[in-house]
Amino acid sequence: MLGAFRSALATPDLRKKILFTLGIIVLYRVGALLPSPGVSYPNVQKCIANVQQDGIYSLLNLFSGGALLQLSVFALGIMPYITASIIIQLLTVVIPRFEQLKKEGQAGQGKLTQYTRYLTIALAILQATGIVALADRGQLFGECQDDIIPGDKIFTLILIVITMTAGTAVIMWLGELITERGIGNGMSLLMFVNIAARIPYEGKIIWDKGPITFTVICLFGLAIIASVVFMEQGQRRIPVQYAKRMIGRRMYGGTSTYLPLKVNQAGVIPVIFASSLLYLPDLISRLIGGSQDSGWQRFIQQYLVQQDSWVHILVYFALIIFFTYFYITITFNVNERAEEMRKFGGFIPGIRPGRPTSEYLNFVLQRITLPGSIYLGIIAILPNFFLSVTGTGNNQNFPFGGTAVLIMVGVGLDTVKQIESQLMQRNYEGFLR
Amino acid sequence: MAKMLAKVKGRLRRFLERPASVELTKYEALLPKIADREEDIAKLSDEELTSRVGKLRASERELADDELVEFCALAREAAKRALDERPYDVQLLGVMGMLSGHVVQMATGEGKTLAGALTAAGFAVRGKRVHVISVNDYLAKRDAEWMRPVYELLGVSVGYVGEKVSAEHRREAYASEVCYGSVSEIGFDLLRDRLVTKAEDQVQVPNPAAVALVDEADSVLVDEAKVPLVMAGSAEGVERDADMAEIVRRLRAGVHYEEDEDGRNAWLTPSGAKAVEKALGGVDLYAEDSPYLAAVNVALHAHALLERDVDYIVRDNKVQLINTSRGRIAALQRWPDGLQAAVEAKEAVAATESGEVLDSITVQALIARYPKVAGMTGTAVAVAEQLREFYKLEVAVIAPNKPCIREDELTRLYTTEEAKEDALIKEIVATHETGRPILVGTLDVAESERIAKRLSENDLACVVLNAKNDAEEAAIVAEAGAYNAITVSTQMAGRGTDIRLGGHDEADHDKVAELGGLYVIGTGHYPSSRLDDQLRGRAGRQGDPGGSVFFSSMEDEQLAQYAPEVQLHVLKEPPGEDGLIKDKTARAFVAHAQRVAEGVELEIHRNTWRYTRLIEQQRDIIMEHRDKILHSDVADTLFEKHAPERHKELVEELGAEIVAEAARQILLYHLDRRWVDHLGYTSDVRETVHLRALAKETPIDEFHRAVVPAFNQIVPEAHETAIASFDTVKIGENGAELEEAGLKRPTSTWTYMVYDNPWDSDAEQALKKVRAHVKKVKAER
Repeated sequence: MLGAFRSALATPDLRKKILFTLGIIVLYRVGALLPSPGVSYPNVQKCIANVQQDGIYSLLNLFSGGALLQLSVFALGIMPYITASIIIQLLTVVIPRFEQLKKEGQAGQGKLTQYTRYLTIALAILQATGIVALADRGQLFGECQDDIIPGDKIFTLILIVITMTAGTAVIMWLGELITERGIGNGMSLLMFVNIAARIPYEGKIIWDKGPITFTVICLFGLAIIASVVFMEQGQRRIPVQYAKRMIGRRMYGGTSTYLPLKVNQAGVIPVIFASSLLYLPDLISRLIGGSQDSGWQRFIQQYLVQQDSWVHILVYFALIIFFTYFYITITFNVNERAEEMRKFGGFIPGIRPGRPTSEYLNFVLQRITLPGSIYLGIIAILPNFFLSVTGTGNNQNFPFGGTAVLIMVGVGLDTVKQIESQLMQRNYEGFLR
Repeated sequence: MAKMLAKVKGRLRRFLERPASVELTKYEALLPKIADREEDIAKLSDEELTSRVGKLRASERELADDELVEFCALAREAAKRALDERPYDVQLLGVMGMLSGHVVQMATGEGKTLAGALTAAGFAVRGKRVHVISVNDYLAKRDAEWMRPVYELLGVSVGYVGEKVSAEHRREAYASEVCYGSVSEIGFDLLRDRLVTKAEDQVQVPNPAAVALVDEADSVLVDEAKVPLVMAGSAEGVERDADMAEIVRRLRAGVHYEEDEDGRNAWLTPSGAKAVEKALGGVDLYAEDSPYLAAVNVALHAHALLERDVDYIVRDNKVQLINTSRGRIAALQRWPDGLQAAVEAKEAVAATESGEVLDSITVQALIARYPKVAGMTGTAVAVAEQLREFYKLEVAVIAPNKPCIREDELTRLYTTEEAKEDALIKEIVATHETGRPILVGTLDVAESERIAKRLSENDLACVVLNAKNDAEEAAIVAEAGAYNAITVSTQMAGRGTDIRLGGHDEADHDKVAELGGLYVIGTGHYPSSRLDDQLRGRAGRQGDPGGSVFFSSMEDEQLAQYAPEVQLHVLKEPPGEDGLIKDKTARAFVAHAQRVAEGVELEIHRNTWRYTRLIEQQRDIIMEHRDKILHSDVADTLFEKHAPERHKELVEELGAEIVAEAARQILLYHLDRRWVDHLGYTSDVRETVHLRALAKETPIDEFHRAVVPAFNQIVPEAHETAIASFDTVKIGENGAELEEAGLKRPTSTWTYMVYDNPWDSDAEQALKKVRAHVKKVKAER
């Protein structure tokens, strides 16, 4: 792989793309550290140092690379965009017009992207307002009493909201720039950067627990990464033949003509869904009242919010499995797939086209999703067993488990693959001209 | 001051009218200088003229400005003497534009052939060999013969190739400085050269030529660019099933099989599959490596989707394809192999040979081999973007010698197909009464025949052009401008031949001109506005009067397919009694549909090119390797190294020369075999690679990942198996006896083109978008 990178850097065209991508990433990190106007930087730092985070925003904070609690220009990160894309994607199942747009190819996809952008801006305004309101009331850091936004004028607050929203728009643009002119998928890469940016910080926390713990955790982390790489690459390849050509009646494609089903076909989305859903009860109980006295509030605190509680872990795990199946059912239409194959003369050897094929596909998909969903669940709950090391509430931030590792590995694999493919093609061109 | 103002105005107009074109002002400035020399040069004897051209051969650089002036002046004089035609300034401008590597747009009748010849000579005197690529064999031969005197005066050798010329003639033609040939013939020669097993059998030596000068550049570079030229060879295990055609014939549409609305795909229903299985004696069609399914599919395709006299005709007990886009019989075309055989079985005619694809090359890749490309056509601006994207060519527009005064009417849109045709016939009858010549351009063969029939019902005699050979066609088209003439023709018919008013000798020129010149009527819009313009361009040649109009109806296929929303449109005013629609929005849809059609076409082109580019690169690498084997003793050295004992033994027994030759034959066989397999592999991968998107992978990337490693195996594997063969194959006085060892080369090879590959998955992808849209509109209705 290192060899691939070296030759990638030796190819002028590809080098330009990689450097461009790195440039954008640097720009993005600068924005993530740049405080919004009106925010008291020293006070924020003091609060962050004093307070253990307590969960609500830890996922958001993760996705923003720690920028959220810094209240920086890019505080919202790409989370609004991701949420918007997920919502739009789900809506394509519900709203017929969206479904048609999706089918229309490039032009329709353009329209959907347009909608996603509008929704992103709307969500950004919502989130920015929420965070600024919390910060203004001093609730963002719980106990911390330092005045985060000293000006306190309504104008200042509006300015911060506008800044953060604009920041989100800029991030979207940066992401698209990478996709267009750099390497890899821009949005995923920025998410990758955000998570990777937390590693030194989290590493420091673990280091403070002692070098032995640190070494063990690191080794353990490597093992997890290796297994995630293994699982993410896992595919069930259903052989497919397109019996239309009759050239000496020979099949050439052999093992290369197949319909791939990933073990983890759903990706990271079920985990995000599940953790978002688990935060809801906590959020509701906080919104209703400050006192934690009533019975159900205590129940929530004890069993759902406490991340080392068995109830929490089990519910989380179950939710992930449920959402994995849910997401695959709505995004992977076996009937459509079977119908399309039949129309173009394709078939799975041994299986009759049409209904039997769609039933077969469904069968394989259900089967392969089971280990896939269990794997997702295990990776997601792993950090909960290390709370004593990383500190409560930090489960999502633990860089070797949960969403973080899934995203990092997924994005990393995709990007390397893309570089590799471009390299293969370029090598020929370089050879010829 | 006024002069400057006029100049600015001219520039502005040019800028607005012809986007994406390069400036030729630099060359315009040279024109007076060329004219200055005319008098002096006229005094030279023929020999002196030739030797003065010879002086330009001193260098190999491109012609500098003063040399360009010298060359153009000499060329003009040569043309004047040889053909009695003095090239106009605009023609010389075209020559200079092409010499600088552009595609020039010159209107019909401006003398493109002469300009092309002078350009080719211009390249040739600088030591660059030129292939002048034309659309068909007839034009290649005609132009080469016609221009030969000019070339001779300029001291440049010229030749041509065609389908029916001998290998000796070909070799001589390709060795001349300028060689004329149709794009398919030049491509086929390239393919054949790549498969020879003896170096002396190659005809295109050295290869490739330095310059490709493309006549009708838009047609060759855009319309035919994605057409693969295929070289096939007989293969074992290919036999056809007459039974299958019989079985499929008994199936009923809707019950046993279903088909797409637009007739691109047909497939068996479960009950159809059962019926076929029963007929075959209870086999399982969908078993692994089922030998029947492919046969059933092609037979079904032939039965359900291909219609006699629309898609093909049966003539002389042979199936011949109709090229629907050109609307004529395509002698060189075949369907991909299995399908051709299936259609032959369906019609119960003698089976032609069928086998496997040995190699193929697209026109685009063929053109890309030439270091320098220039071209000329009547309609280049419309494809300027594509020429830039795919060929890095710029378009230069040459103003006509005399301004065009043709009157182009707005499209006449009718409610129904019937109303349109009635109006069309009426228009022809009315115009014919005055004696004005009429050229009717139809969309396909069937339509041209229908119209001819209706005209004869009205007691009008007309000439129909659709399935004749090129030479006859040219003669007929040349007469289309005669007094009282009515010619019904498909789009491409007679391209490259001028329609002179008053017949080929211009006897009645003034009489016809008074009537308004040639009147061109299109029976429907073509898939691109450029093709419309080509048809219009037949009238109004060299400042002659002329007129053109297109008829269209709301039921036109193009409109229905690409702008189905027009059906939802409510007309603001009711159509006239004859069905004529004046509504502006409805008429705008006609142009819109055409633009969508153009967009789809471009998308298909772009996608095909993305996938074929890699294969083309691999082909170049393999062929370079093959050439090395052919021209040196790489093979011999290989065996000497890896099988030293056997090698030594053989050399002692038979002599070094025979062994080297045997070694070459063995290695070539294995290399070619691997390459054919590789082509089969890539097309199989290509067919299913779109499924990779399901695992969130990028199909084109995955295609590369599958095809590149497979390619890298070819040479090592070929070497390995060749070394094994070298040990086992009997090598005697006559070289290696490969056949005895079961290593048979195809006993015969043949070439063909594939125009519309019915199984092209790219076309499917692009069409799917449009189809989804169509369905939506239908649902709304």
